[in-house]
This record gives sequence, C-alpha cells and structure tokens, in this order.
Amino acid sequence: MKKFNLMFLAAASMAALAACSSGDEEASGGSGSEGSADVDEITAWAWDPAFNIAALENAKEAYNGDGDYEVNIIENAQDDIIQKLNTGLSSGTTNGMPNIVLIEDYRAQSFLQAYPDAFHPLTDVINAEDFADYKIATTSFEDEQYGLPFDSGVAALYVRTDYLEEAGYSVEDVTDITWQEYIEIGKDVKEATGKNMLTLDPNDLAQVRMMIQTNGSWYVEEDGSTPNIAGNETLEKGFETYKELMDADIAKIVSDWSQFVGAFNSGDVASVPTGNWITPSVKQAADQSGNWAVVPMPRLDMEGAVNASNLGGSSWYVLNVDGKEQAADFLLNTFGSNPDLYQTLVEDIGALGTYSPAAEGDAYAVEDEFFGGQQLLSDLSTWTDEIPAVNYGLHTYAIEDILVTGMQDYLNGAELDTVLENVQGQAEAQLK
Amino acid sequence: MNRLKRIFIYTFLSVAAIVSIFPFLWMLTSITNKSVDVTQGRLLPGTHLIENLKTLFATVDIVPALINSSIIAIITTFLTLLLASLAGYGFEIHRSKGKDIVFTILLLSMMIPFAAIMIPLYRMFGSISETAPLIGIDSLGAVILPTATTAFFIFFFRQNTKMFPKDLVEAGRIDGLSEIGVFFRIYMPTMKTTYAAAAIIAFMNSWNNYLWPLVILQSPEKRTIPLLISNLGSSYSPDYGVIMSAIVIATLPTALVFFLMQKHFVAGMMGSVKG
Amino acid sequence: MSQLGTKKAEVDLPVRTKYEESRRQKTGVFFKKKVGWLFVIVSVIAITIFNFYPMVQAFLLSFQSGMGANLEYVGLDNWRRLFGDPTFIAALTNTTIYLLIQVPLMIILALFFSVLLNDPKLKFKSFFRIAIFLPCVTSLVAYSVVFKYLFGIDGIVNQFLLNFGFISETVNFLADPFWAKVVIILAITWRWTGYNMIFYLAALQNVDKSIYEAARIDGASSFQQFFQITVPMLKPIILFTSITSTIGTLQIFDEIVNITNGGPGNATISISQYIYNLSFEYSPDFGYASTVSYVIVILVVILSIIQFRVAGEKK
Repeated sequence: MKKFNLMFLAAASMAALAACSSGDEEASGGSGSEGSADVDEITAWAWDPAFNIAALENAKEAYNGDGDYEVNIIENAQDDIIQKLNTGLSSGTTNGMPNIVLIEDYRAQSFLQAYPDAFHPLTDVINAEDFADYKIATTSFEDEQYGLPFDSGVAALYVRTDYLEEAGYSVEDVTDITWQEYIEIGKDVKEATGKNMLTLDPNDLAQVRMMIQTNGSWYVEEDGSTPNIAGNETLEKGFETYKELMDADIAKIVSDWSQFVGAFNSGDVASVPTGNWITPSVKQAADQSGNWAVVPMPRLDMEGAVNASNLGGSSWYVLNVDGKEQAADFLLNTFGSNPDLYQTLVEDIGALGTYSPAAEGDAYAVEDEFFGGQQLLSDLSTWTDEIPAVNYGLHTYAIEDILVTGMQDYLNGAELDTVLENVQGQAEAQLK
Repeated sequence: MNRLKRIFIYTFLSVAAIVSIFPFLWMLTSITNKSVDVTQGRLLPGTHLIENLKTLFATVDIVPALINSSIIAIITTFLTLLLASLAGYGFEIHRSKGKDIVFTILLLSMMIPFAAIMIPLYRMFGSISETAPLIGIDSLGAVILPTATTAFFIFFFRQNTKMFPKDLVEAGRIDGLSEIGVFFRIYMPTMKTTYAAAAIIAFMNSWNNYLWPLVILQSPEKRTIPLLISNLGSSYSPDYGVIMSAIVIATLPTALVFFLMQKHFVAGMMGSVKG
Repeated sequence: MSQLGTKKAEVDLPVRTKYEESRRQKTGVFFKKKVGWLFVIVSVIAITIFNFYPMVQAFLLSFQSGMGANLEYVGLDNWRRLFGDPTFIAALTNTTIYLLIQVPLMIILALFFSVLLNDPKLKFKSFFRIAIFLPCVTSLVAYSVVFKYLFGIDGIVNQFLLNFGFISETVNFLADPFWAKVVIILAITWRWTGYNMIFYLAALQNVDKSIYEAARIDGASSFQQFFQITVPMLKPIILFTSITSTIGTLQIFDEIVNITNGGPGNATISISQYIYNLSFEYSPDFGYASTVSYVIVILVVILSIIQFRVAGEKK
C-alpha cells in the first residue's frame, strides 16, 4: 500500500511538471494583453490605512461619475508594493496586478522608464494645470502625463514655541529664515533650555534632499539620469550646511524612525524640519498641545533659494491591464476633479492634496488648537505652490546611498571637492 | 571540583538565558505600553494592554491571517518532513554512485538567494494560474509548493541517517518488511528526535516566510501573519504598541511548537528503541 | 521489534533450481536499486521545477542588463562591472568578515550549549532550552529596536563600559564602521545560536549513552569526552550546520537592514542587501542583481567543497 502512495506522489508531481511546461508556452503568447475589456471590479493598492487607504475610501464615497463597477481597495506596505510591482511587471504576468497603484514620487520615473508599456497615460483624462507644478514634473514621462498627483510632501519646520520663548525668540524669528540663521537660533535655544534643536540621522540624507530642492537642484541633471554631484554648487552648499549643523552641536543623533519620533514626542528637541505628513505623529504627544507652531522650511543661503521644499509625497497611476478605462474614470471623477473630496480629505484624515482648486475651501481655513490656532492646512497649501519643480529622475536612492558614504568622509574631515568628485565617479560607474 | 563546575555551568547558562530572553521580555512589556513609551525604550510594563489589543483587533483581521499561516505552516511542515526524510533516507541507505551525484546537485539549489529566482518562479506560477487555480497566483498552494521541498531538509535527514544504525534496516528486511515498511516501521520511530527538530525548523521557516507569500498572494483575505505585520509597520505614524501586540501574538505559535517538540529531546531514546 | 517467523520459513524452503534462485536475486538487486530512486524521486522532481528551472533562468539573466523589462544581452559586462563596483566590493568584504568570525563562533557556542543542555542531571533544562531558542522567534522589529538601544550613545552597554572604566567616553557603536560590524556579528550570533543548537540537541539523542559510560570508567574528563566522543559522533551534523550557516551568513539580510541598514556609509552592507537594493530599492536591474547572486553561489560552492573535504566525507 505504501508503495502505491509513493508512486502516486511521483505521478502527481510529473503531472505538475507537465502542467508547468505547457503553461509556460501559453504565457509567452498571452502576456501583456492589450485588450480593453469591460470589467465590473477594479483593484487599487496603497499603503497606510490612516492616510492613503482612508483617502481611497473617501474617494469611493465621493465618486460622481456614471461607471458601474466595484472598487476593491487593498492595503499593502510601500516596500511590499514596490516588490510586488517589480516582480509582476518584469515577469510579464499581468495576472494579479492592480488597476490603480500609489507610487512614491521619488520612484515614479524609474517605474515609468523600467516598464514602458505597463502604465496607462492619463494625459487626456486630467487637467495637469490644476495641480502643483512640482508634482507634474515628477509624474510625467516623455510628454505623457501618467500620474494623478496626490498628496503634498510639502516640508515645514515644526517648532516648540515654549522652548523658543525661553531663549528669547518668537515664531516670527524662525519664519522664512536661512539654515545659517537657524543654526544660530539653535545654539541659543540649546544654551537657554539645554534641548537640542533637531534630530539628525547620519545615514539618512533627507535633510540634504530638502535643502537642495529649496534652490531647485537635485542629484541628477534635467535629463533625470546623469548624476549631478561634482560641481553642483547647491549640493556643495547643502553638504556644508549639514556639516555646520553637526559641528554646532545642536543635533541629537538618531538611528531610526522610532528614535526620531521618540525624540520630539518626549520633548527632547525644539524643532522638526520634515514633511507635513509628520503632523499626526507630532500631535500624538497630546500634552504638548499649544506649544507647537509650523513655519516655512529654512532655505539654503543662496541667490534664488526659496522657503519651500518637499519630502516624499506620492501619486496615483493606472496600470495597462484590463479595466484601465474604468480605473481612469474612477480617478478622474474623484481625485482628478472633485474639490469637495479634498475638503473631506483634510477634515477626516488631514491628507493634504496638491489639487489647487481645493485650497479655496473652508476646511483648509480651520484653526488647529494643537498649533496655537494656526490655519495649518491653508499655510501648508500656500507653501506647496511655491515648491521648486525638479526632475527627481531615476536614481534618487541609488545616488543617495553613495552620497551617504561621501558624507561620512566629509564629516570626518575629507575635502568637499574630492568627496563629491568621488561620488560622481562612483555614481557614473554604477548607473549605466 | 565537581561543585565548582556545577556552579560555573549554571552561572554560564543563566547569563546566556538572560541575554537571550531580554529582547523577548521587552517585546512582552511593550505590548502594555503606549506607542510613545515604546519608541522611548521604556522597560517597565504599562497599563495600555487592553487598548492595544482593542485597536489591533479593530484595525486588522488578525484571526484569518493566523488561520492562513497555520494552514500553510502545518501542510508545509508535514510535506517537508515526509518528502525530505524519504529522500534523506533514500540517499543514505540506498546509496549509489548515481544518487550521490544527484544529491550533490540538489545541494546546489540551497545556495542561490531566493530574490534571484523569485521572478522566474513567479512567471511559472502565473502561467499555470488559468489551468490550475489551486496552485496559481494568489493561492495557498502556490505558497506551499516551492517551500515544501528543500534541499536543506534532505541534507539534514541524510546527515542524521548517517548516525542511524544500518543493522536495524537489515533486521527489518529479515523480518520480512518491505523497503517502504522498513522506512515507516523502523526508521521513522527511531528517528523521532530528528523529526522533532525538523518540525520545529520547518514550522518556523514557513511561519516566518515573507518574500514569497508577499509576491504570490494578492487578496487581503489570504494574507499570512508576516504580511499583516508588514502592513502595520508601514503607516506614516505607526503605533508601536499595537505592532508589538501583533508581533507577540504571531510569535506564540512557534514558541509553542518548540516547547512541545523539545520534550522529545530526551537523552537515551535510542537505547529504548533498540531494546 | 516483534520477531517474525522468517528464520523457520527459510529452513523449510523447498529446493529450487539454481537458475530460479539466481534470477530471483538479480531482480531483487534490481528492485532494491529502483526502490532507492523511488524514495528520492518526488523531491528531485520538485526541486528541479521549483529551484533549478528558475536558477537556470537567473543564470541567463546574469548576462543581461537594463532597467526593469528593458533587458538585453551584454555578454560578460556584468561580471566585469563587479570588479569596478565599490559597493559590491564593500558588500563582499563585509560579508566575508561576518562569515569568518561569526560562523565558527556560533557553531562552537551552539555545540557547547547543546552538550550542557543534554545533561540528564541538569535542572530547569526546558527553561534553558527555550530561553536560548527564543531569539530566533523574537521578532526582528523588537530585537533591532532593543539592539539599537543597548548600543546607543546613552545605551546600557556604554554605561556599563563607562562605569567599569573600560572606556573614558561614550562610543557611538552604530556610527562607527568597526563597531557597527561587531554589533552585527553579535546580533547574528545571538539570533541563530539557538537555532543551530536544536540540530545538535536532536542529534545527541542518537548517540549511544553506553559509549560515555565506558569512557567515564576509563577516567576520561568532560573535555576529553567532548572532543573524543561528541565531536566525532556529531561530525555529520557539524558539517550540516557549517554548510547551512555558511549559506545563511553569505545571504544575511534581515539583521543588517533592521539594525544598521548597511551603514554607516557602506560599512555593514551585505551582498544580499545589495542584491535587494539593485532589484527593488534602485531603478531595477535584475540582470546585474542575478550576477551578484551568482557570486554567492560560487562562494558557497567553493566553501562547501572545502568543508566536505575537511570533514573527510567520501564524495
């Protein structure tokens, strides 16, 4: 009897083998289907239940088109989405791929270029002028608009008004300042309160990224792929400023996200310069209500730099699979043209969009008690429109990983020019 | 002298145990704390346990994920133990030149990082999805199949079979047992501790498996525990108290399997079987 | 085992012709060989489908390059590119350092624990076993947070070293290229020693107790027993754990991503993390990522051959 079982197992696996090899042939013929079929259900992938997923749910409610289909919202972590998309798209199997997907702006260009036929253009669907300029630059590719710009990653300086006051400063004193002025204030704050001015993670160059965007510069040239490191004056200034921050001894060093959040929640730092999506985490420390204010991001001390920058942010994309018409229809009739939806988004989940007509609404004018009655959303929205547009290109994270090593060398005393030339050389060698 | 040795051994083991348990204990205390306290590394228990659990059960479907993970882990463990022990036994007891070569080639399959074979594997499952949905994309079968047969466990069983007294096989044959009968009636009961160890590891590997279930599973209702936890941590404002609660719940089954299985590690078992 | 009446039956066998007898034996031998293959066939087929077929595909990929789906054959370019790629060289160097220090350390510790915990007279055996096993089920999130706090600037380790005068000022372990590697090695060892201990504990049950009794009567010390009985008896399992730990350490990923994320700079990056970055973190280049993966395969093959030779197993 046992022998029979074994034979059966062997036969079964032979059958499986046969099924696999025959299936393979089918796949080569059937992959990348371009047909447009009517579907009655579309799928959308996004991350963060409190933010993007909630935004999708709201959009579903607010949908005012006349399409007849179900929208299936699926939550996946951002890294998970990246892995699933890459695996699915590169294997040419559209099976299991969503219709709508959220992609971080820094990564958008690389997805669009890596999988040229995988995305469905929205050029004729949405009106690009309705959205913040800097978002359009990152979501379009080769004259086609692919992304529907979503949340603003507008950067801001979150400050502890009580600590500033103790050091003799007002909120006006930290408004529209340069990083150099920020450092001087930081020293005084530290002397008066003993608190550090900010947290820095030497392995994360987000600060440098935000700094250089205030002057409209990035790690790559306009073309999005040529590394722009050596001889990039803005980046040099960013590096110098970062070193000054370190040398001024006003930064608490952290090594991960939880320590970063922990530092301001426990009142260890007097300010947090970062993207506006940090608001809920700041508010988590309810006992600090009324002691916070939000001001524009400090700028680099350079001609042409502005007090507005960005960190993160993402946009919606439609995949070129069955149901793309429905997916485009859904996006158009929600995030693409519905100002009322954006009112509910800010009211219900504090998600700040980049759809300009929405900023006029009442919800944006609400006064936030946690921030001393400031009209936070309206302010952030104004700053969003001022963010310099840059092409993030293909290699933001690849170059940044090389830059981090360069930054270590620079902080340890190496010459800035040599460091940046090294990084340039390495980046050119690695990114072919 | 002997007493000194005892004291040394107990001290050594106690220090090792404390070092080993410490992060686990911290994990346990953190489920009773608010997110703010967790991020600040608070070591003492708090009073937020009920809150955390309430939020956890309200925000995610942890029970279906536990069921999915359990189904996958139990089937995978069972198949792994059966197939790998058959193969490990076959390679060692019925040793031949041809089989030695095949075995060496099989070992090669352990050596490549999974990320490198994931895309071809995905394409393979994608292509059979239409004809065989039970093992296609987004099926539990597709999670189980590539993980249930691994050279790792075949290697493990083969190495243990080297310590298995071959005369027991002869004795079985003389007793009139078929070759398969020898395996099931003599080898299996004798190698109980080897099976226990393999069960612990196979269960744990399957329970914690992340990358493959991530890419192959699509529907939320089929999600396994690690995928669910990954989602919890991806929020812009993660609640660490809730995440830790999910993690603790996710850890218990493996700890339980270990606890049950390690009881089979009793010195001198071989003797009793022989006698 | 119940004794069946086979012997009696043999004695009473009726006489057969020589031809019949030899034929029966031949088919017997033939059947025995065949049945041997039956034991392994399912696994061989499954591994061929689920491992070797994709491995061949990955091998073909290693001669291609390009972003995402835009792959084209570039011959040996990827292999040449490896040697001029400082990140790859850093990853290779780090991984080799982890391997050389961590694997022997862990194997010896695991062996040591398993022998201590196998002592029938030891009290609280179950407790110690589960305690030492716990690290490999403790979640990475929890343990990376704990490790970061332990080794942080104001962490317990710094305070301890300061109080006992080993250091005069605090060390930022995770920001220092040397100490960050040390922390990673400690973390891997901490996590995987209990895992390897299980294999030894299980194998020790298969060692005949009477050998130890005989040795004890001959006056062998614990150390002599360990090196002259335990180690030789466990040799197949030691070989198994050495090879699988070598593979595990060469593919190390989770610990590094969670504790240092490869930093400071590239001081702790591993080959697997680099493969991950090339595939998912940067603009995807699966061709080059495959090439880097095959470097791991080549390294493991070489190291495994050496380990088989050292263990003296006939091939």
